[in-house]
Amino acid sequence: MTANPFLPVSLVGYVLAIVAVTLRTVYRADAARRVASTCFVATWLVHLGGIVHEALRVGRVPPTTGAEYLLLLGWVVLSLHLLLWFRANVELSGLLLAPLAGVLCLAAMQWLGASAPRTERAVDGWFLVHTSISTIGMATLCVAFAMSVLYLVQDHALKTKRTLALLARLPSLERSDQLGHRALLVGFVLLTLGIAAGVVVIAEARARPVVVGAKLILPLLAWVVFAAILVARASFGFRGRKAAVLTITGFVLGLATVVGMTL
Amino acid sequence: MLILVGSNHRSAPLDVRERMSFPLGRLPGVLARVHKLDGIAEALVLSTCNRVEILGWSTGEVEAATDSIKRFLAEAHRLSLPEIDEYTYQLAGADAARHLFGVACGLDSMILGEPQILGQLKQAYRTASEQGTVGPTLDRLLQHCLSTAKRVRTATGISRHAVSVAFAAVELGRQIFGRLDGRDALVLGAGKMGDLVARHLVSHGVRSLWFASRTYTNAVVHAERVGGGAVPWEEGLARVGDVDVVVSCTGAAQQVLSKADVARATRGRKRGPLLLIDIAVPRDIDPRVNEIDDVYLYDIDGLQNLVDSNLEERRGAAEQAKRLIAREVAAFERWRRGQQVTPLIVALREGCLAVGQQEIERFRPRLGDLGEKQRQAVDELIRAVIQKILHRPLRHLHGAVDRGDVAECGELYRSIFGVADPPAVEGPTGAPSADPPSPGPSRLIRGGRDAS
Repeated sequence: MTANPFLPVSLVGYVLAIVAVTLRTVYRADAARRVASTCFVATWLVHLGGIVHEALRVGRVPPTTGAEYLLLLGWVVLSLHLLLWFRANVELSGLLLAPLAGVLCLAAMQWLGASAPRTERAVDGWFLVHTSISTIGMATLCVAFAMSVLYLVQDHALKTKRTLALLARLPSLERSDQLGHRALLVGFVLLTLGIAAGVVVIAEARARPVVVGAKLILPLLAWVVFAAILVARASFGFRGRKAAVLTITGFVLGLATVVGMTL
Repeated sequence: MLILVGSNHRSAPLDVRERMSFPLGRLPGVLARVHKLDGIAEALVLSTCNRVEILGWSTGEVEAATDSIKRFLAEAHRLSLPEIDEYTYQLAGADAARHLFGVACGLDSMILGEPQILGQLKQAYRTASEQGTVGPTLDRLLQHCLSTAKRVRTATGISRHAVSVAFAAVELGRQIFGRLDGRDALVLGAGKMGDLVARHLVSHGVRSLWFASRTYTNAVVHAERVGGGAVPWEEGLARVGDVDVVVSCTGAAQQVLSKADVARATRGRKRGPLLLIDIAVPRDIDPRVNEIDDVYLYDIDGLQNLVDSNLEERRGAAEQAKRLIAREVAAFERWRRGQQVTPLIVALREGCLAVGQQEIERFRPRLGDLGEKQRQAVDELIRAVIQKILHRPLRHLHGAVDRGDVAECGELYRSIFGVADPPAVEGPTGAPSADPPSPGPSRLIRGGRDAS
């Protein structure tokens, strides 16, 4: 456990915000939305405070350890959620992305201080490029994942002819699809760049050509899945339920990479 | 006191409602006649296809005013008084206000929560204002009522979900596509229901609408009626994959679209989901079509289920609306009761200020030559002293409204301060003793059924 005073506060913020979003979803209360918005913004600031505090404590620009990576990833995920919440008006992302960001923050709290920092030599320019791009890429893929989940929920509700009252709480199918596709496209580009930068980092660290090992297999698999979805969509309009399921699969592979890297 | 005499779909059958309705063009004349009735100081007439209601502010006996409205209705529509008694409801005081708030919110409508009634009430208010039959009480009541109705609709979402099959189809389209503008639709068959759905689609911005019927001329007729293009039957079937919404309403005994047909039509489709609305009985589209990815099929039962569940939602919202209305009616009643003491308060304050002014004038020679600013300062000083002295007595007088001893308290104040009875003015400010201090339940149902 870390002595970072910001992180427990931000966790409380996450819990309050998620409770408010739940109330908003169930009762459609405007007051609950206002409370949730306030909690999200406050949590975003406190979480950022936690990152700055950690950077000052270790004297390096994060992320240099797995725990710092999780902390930063959680904050970027929350930032993208705020974009969806305020700009795209996708309120249900508060029940997907906000808990995800909260869990990442909690995991970071557990491992901060426990995971060993890299040597100064390893924390060079390429490493920072790799981690920064990967963080933003992974956060963008979190959005693609969330929109895919919402798509599947909406698709299921429509196929099984659930009530319109339930459907009204979800974004339209087209909106979920478009937002998810855009996020996947951006995430894929960043993932590609992140993997390329990662290869350079590994090659520099070992001073010899990179052999595809366990650390590279999962992100490469995720990359292949995402590439297949994007190519199929551009070529013959592949979309809908199967595309959403594949996006979730790719995201899980990406998440497994993150977990594997952190442990 | 506020009185309301009305007839709606619950109290009277259609033929009676037809006889009792006032055409829009006749409303100014009707209002003028109601306004002249005995004991009616202010009046409003709401006449829609499902209700006729006369709302009045009476300065005299409630029963006498109600009777005069009933006699007017009987004469205007050539109905007997027993018939009027049978087919109308009569409400007074807070019950009348509560009923009006409910009407404005759509709680008393045939289709719960329907929004048109709010526009009709606004129109009635406008007409009454133009005719000068609305005074301070009805003006306050109607403004309060309209703003509450808007708030109720926003807060409870009572009008949010579709409660007709045709509108449910459009709402489904919006759930799938977000917006319908820029979308293409195809109507297979030439049924009335298909026309209705098509009209809803057009009003929601559908870009192109095609009609296909086995008899081409039928398709042309419907296309001209609703606004769209007509195509031969075979071409219509071939277009299924090229549109976003298909509405099928043929009278065919066999299915017109099989799962294989739709699968073939949507293979390699790049334009996104396809919504199929099958409102034909027997069904036109194979139900297994719903198994195809990105294709959503709703038949008449599916749409009806959505409508039923939406109605259930509206009933829940109506309960919430009733609670909101109860609060607002209580606020209006507080304001109205407060008006009972207003003339006395005004008279008291003016009387005291006049005494102050007299004393200033009496002392003016002794004050010597005062500048403009000094004169103003003396005036303000006297006014401030009077306000301070009157503050507690006036607060006590305001409290009399809630305590229910307006009459006794008013009498006491008049004798202590030597204030004469305020002149009788039409409306609440001029009729402090028109209402009993604590009216309590004031529903008068003499015939007809309770509309609340």
